[in-house]
Amino acid sequence: MVAGELEVIEAPLLPWSLSWLAPYIASAVMAVMWLYGLRTSRLYGLLAVAGILVSALVSTAIAFRVFGEGVAVHVGADAAWIPWLGVGLGSFFDGLSTVMALIVSWVSLFIAVYSLKYMEGDPGYARYFFMFSFFVGSMMLLVVADNLVLMFIGWEGTGIASYALIGHWYTDEEEYWVGRPGRRALGTPMYFEPSHSAVRAILFTRVGDIGLLIGIAALYLYAGTFSIPRLAATVEGWMASLAADGILAPLMLVLTLGAFAKSAQFPFHEWLVTAMTGPTPVSALIHAATMVKAGVFLVLRLTPILLAGYAALGGVVAQDLQLYFSVVAWVSVVTALLLSIMALVADELKLILAYSTASQLGYMMLAAAAAGLAAVSGVLAPLEAAGEGVVAGLSHLASHAVFKAALFLAAGWLIHVAHSRFIDSMGGYARFMKLTALSFWLAGLSLAGIPPLSGFFTKEAVIEVAFTASTALGVLAAATAAFTAAYIVRAAVRVFHLPPYEEAGHREEPHEAPPLMLVPYLALSLAALAMGIGYTQLFELLGFAAGLTLAAEAVSVYFALKPLTLAVLGAAAGSALAVALLYMVVRLDFRRLIAENRVAAAIHGFLYDRMYVNPVIYIVVLGGGGWVARSILELDLTIDYAYHAALVAAAAAAAFALRALSRGRTDYIIALYVVGLAAALAYALIAARSYILELLS
Amino acid sequence: MYLQYPLLWASLVAPVLASLLASGRTSAEARPAAYIVAATLLVPAAVAGYYLATGAVGEGVIDPIVIDLSGAGLGQIALAIDGLSAPVVLGVSLITAIVAVYSLKYMEVRMREMAEEGEEPPGFRTYFFLYSLFAASMLGIAYSINFISFYIFLEISLISSFLLILYYGYGDRRRIALLYFVWTHIGGAAMLAGALAYGFAADTFNAAVVEAGRLVYVTFEEALGSVALAAGILLVVGMLVKMAVVGVHMWLPYAHAEAPTPVSALLSPNLVGLGAYGLARFALSFFPGVLEDLAPLLLGLAVATIIYGGLVALQQNDFKRLLAYSSVSQMGYLLLGLATLTAYGVAGAMLFYLSHAIGKAILFMVAGVFIAELGGLRAINRMGGLAKAYPAMAAASLIGFLHLAGIPPSFGFWGELMIVLGAASNPGVDSLSRLAVVSASLIVAFTVTAAYSFITMRRIFFGPPTRQPGLEVMDEFKATVVTVAVLGIFLFVAAGPLFSAAQASVEAMVSAYLG
Repeated sequence: MVAGELEVIEAPLLPWSLSWLAPYIASAVMAVMWLYGLRTSRLYGLLAVAGILVSALVSTAIAFRVFGEGVAVHVGADAAWIPWLGVGLGSFFDGLSTVMALIVSWVSLFIAVYSLKYMEGDPGYARYFFMFSFFVGSMMLLVVADNLVLMFIGWEGTGIASYALIGHWYTDEEEYWVGRPGRRALGTPMYFEPSHSAVRAILFTRVGDIGLLIGIAALYLYAGTFSIPRLAATVEGWMASLAADGILAPLMLVLTLGAFAKSAQFPFHEWLVTAMTGPTPVSALIHAATMVKAGVFLVLRLTPILLAGYAALGGVVAQDLQLYFSVVAWVSVVTALLLSIMALVADELKLILAYSTASQLGYMMLAAAAAGLAAVSGVLAPLEAAGEGVVAGLSHLASHAVFKAALFLAAGWLIHVAHSRFIDSMGGYARFMKLTALSFWLAGLSLAGIPPLSGFFTKEAVIEVAFTASTALGVLAAATAAFTAAYIVRAAVRVFHLPPYEEAGHREEPHEAPPLMLVPYLALSLAALAMGIGYTQLFELLGFAAGLTLAAEAVSVYFALKPLTLAVLGAAAGSALAVALLYMVVRLDFRRLIAENRVAAAIHGFLYDRMYVNPVIYIVVLGGGGWVARSILELDLTIDYAYHAALVAAAAAAAFALRALSRGRTDYIIALYVVGLAAALAYALIAARSYILELLS
Repeated sequence: MYLQYPLLWASLVAPVLASLLASGRTSAEARPAAYIVAATLLVPAAVAGYYLATGAVGEGVIDPIVIDLSGAGLGQIALAIDGLSAPVVLGVSLITAIVAVYSLKYMEVRMREMAEEGEEPPGFRTYFFLYSLFAASMLGIAYSINFISFYIFLEISLISSFLLILYYGYGDRRRIALLYFVWTHIGGAAMLAGALAYGFAADTFNAAVVEAGRLVYVTFEEALGSVALAAGILLVVGMLVKMAVVGVHMWLPYAHAEAPTPVSALLSPNLVGLGAYGLARFALSFFPGVLEDLAPLLLGLAVATIIYGGLVALQQNDFKRLLAYSSVSQMGYLLLGLATLTAYGVAGAMLFYLSHAIGKAILFMVAGVFIAELGGLRAINRMGGLAKAYPAMAAASLIGFLHLAGIPPSFGFWGELMIVLGAASNPGVDSLSRLAVVSASLIVAFTVTAAYSFITMRRIFFGPPTRQPGLEVMDEFKATVVTVAVLGIFLFVAAGPLFSAAQASVEAMVSAYLG
């Protein structure tokens, strides 16, 4: 009934599947080139850019159809791949996936262009662009796939690509580490080599991925399909069955485990904050366009469908949905808050941005979950709530993609200039690179939520939904906004306007970035401004997109500087201003404060070591798991001994004992022989007696 | 459908005959014969591939020579490929063919090394004779729909692999060869006893019979009456010993680690998994009721095997021994799929057989590259940063591990998906407790596999380089490794027909056996 309201038109598999296929094709060509022996060539970079450009253009063309005609486009609906499971190669462009495809492809394109210069001369140039292209292709597949298996394949593809790119500098030179070398918390090292971070990324997310796969499998068994539009259309039936079996909320949570892990929600954020070991554009890619947005996308996809089920079934599923949305909302708001606080004390530029990402992802998930809660508690109508959640989450996803990409790309240049990843080695750069400073400030203030930049409006939308659901969620979300403004202003002031604390190992006078690198981040930061100025159009578009999304309804979000808005605005601006004043005017030396004050030092250490989440995980999982593993190894050695020593020895002893009965005694043997022979003969005679008697008679 | 020519019987004889062409102790002398052996070994893959594409495998592709021994109570001896065996046939055929070429350089190095130690190993003719006998017997196992032929081929595979380990193995190879022989015979004797009990009661040893050019799946479990349970347990235990599930796995790390590496690349990927195939083919047909009773036990054993093998693998320092324990762990996945007793799970187990064949073959072949080219290097703590020296081997190994962990774009994903689907159907996730148990088991199991995979990748290939860059010269030896890796990706994309064939056969089997 729900998908019925959405008009769907069909389009052929080709050329429209190039939206996700083009980057894959580029990667395949690169693989062939590499195997053929061509290992260093600028062609790799150009191929990656070309593949992503095609993807972006095709996605844009589809977007014109979707928004122009107000329909969803189903590409290659009948392209079979695994007929047994009804898994095809189709892609489904509704409002949500179309906007996602646009964000992913265009932002990735900027980062790819930037990489052309950034990765110049890197020994892993070919591998970098191969994986980059594969990454973008997988992310595109993830967002446009029309069925869950195909989506999962894209999902796993982003995992593999991020693994390879985080560990790009796999020879583990110290300059690529994250964390202060030598630092430990609870005895656990808090510095990470690239190859270590790569393993962390893939294993942390793997835990969630299996949850997601179990969820997908169960949905298939209950709904009889992997197709996302079919699942939306039949939601009433399968949700009722799940609820009847008492597993609706648990199963959805198992499935959402994948989203939590991928989108770095507490405590899975640990993989993301150490994923900074890759080349900086990779961080930009992971944080802005691909990978971590996958989990948010999944929740945005799922929420309207669940709410459509709620609209149809009502009270039967209310309790389950209440539980489900509460868990998601609280996990995400806690992530948003905690990570924004940790970001206050981080001293690596990329690390600050990484905390920031996990925190902002929390906002995006919160938007969807809070909308769900609002619906279940009756504040909003289900379909309206779905629309609100999608608009708020998606708008923040879009603005975050733009400003975070700009921040990371600018950070890449700053780190290159400082020849250090620590902000204390940077300082006073505004004089040398005005455009970079401008870009960083524009993007940073957008993150801080300062009008008229895009981040203000989109964050405001999220917080408003949060307040609609519950005051507690709203207050925590608003508090996060204040911390966010503080940490990003601190970083910007530190890097651009204050003299460096530590003498940096500058190889040369700091200077502006080359155009191929500058233009992408400058353009992105201006886009953050433009999206803010044109916020009415942005929200109109997204509201319209929500109406074209499976199971959601169009909404119009209208900003009228309500008291709430002013309060949030005040909190953010106030905290930004306070930090700026403390650093620039009061010239408060936080480092001395920490050195002299034990309480401050303790708090600082607690936050700096990320609240000991990582050591606890390591001690419990690696320590506990290690203990189990060692015990099993002991057991294994015992089994080996039992079979191959003890059993053999026992058999030998038995043989020896039997042999002892007769050893060296020929008379014994002869006696036994005679007895045996006599017994055999006697038996034969008895057995054959009737025959013998017959013969005799 | 019947094949027009007896290609399946011919494919068993041809490699053995071709192997007699080999001679000498250098790869140059043996190369032409090796390629001919490889070509003949590819025939089954070609036959299976062609009929997968036409869609005929789902009903069974049957060799025209059918020997009817039902007068003697033995049933019908016929060779066939159906949806259940197609992944197995592809796995055995492709891997044995490629590894035959790989053997050239490796065995040349090995024989020279043994000669330097004062030993006189037999030359390439003996090697390739035993090798093709081994390969052909595994194909015979996969083709068999009658337990008698299955068992005869199994014996041939044991004798030939026993001799390969005895002649060319490492370490205390005589003891290890004997250990391998004894253990597999314990398994063999058990399964034979169980099958004989069935055969005499049922008056046939067939799991499927050929009727009018089609395979019809049959079961006569009820003929056994109360003996079924004991006989079924014997057959199952025999197969489990063959699979080396936890508890009866102890022979595998010795045999697979100390066999000459090309033979390891056949033993581990191909041979042990045939125990799982035997379970699917014969235990499911002969003792479906017993399997239903044993299912909870087998599911638990499967998860235990996955975790046990994975955690022990994680602590190994010898690359080949690590891979051997990983094989134990992988057998847990096959058992998990089978023990769900659903079409998804059984098909998933067979797809996982193929993905394990590919993945483990790649990894053993890479281990062999280091042994042959880096002075017998096997200790992982002396590796590290090898991706600089061997980038293509690093890429291939990553693809190999993706197969083990079931991550796309490797073929392994399909096995993983089907096994998860199987587990979600039975024991199922339709109550909170079942959902919790299934989720927790699967998450821990798959994470352990991913953990040892990626941690081993790091220990071997990443970190500060221990060798100078650019050691890798892309010769025939290493090209074979890359070929298997490319094959794994290709099969991921082209999996549709394998699924369709498996659906037709396995669903027919499950409904015939389990009702």
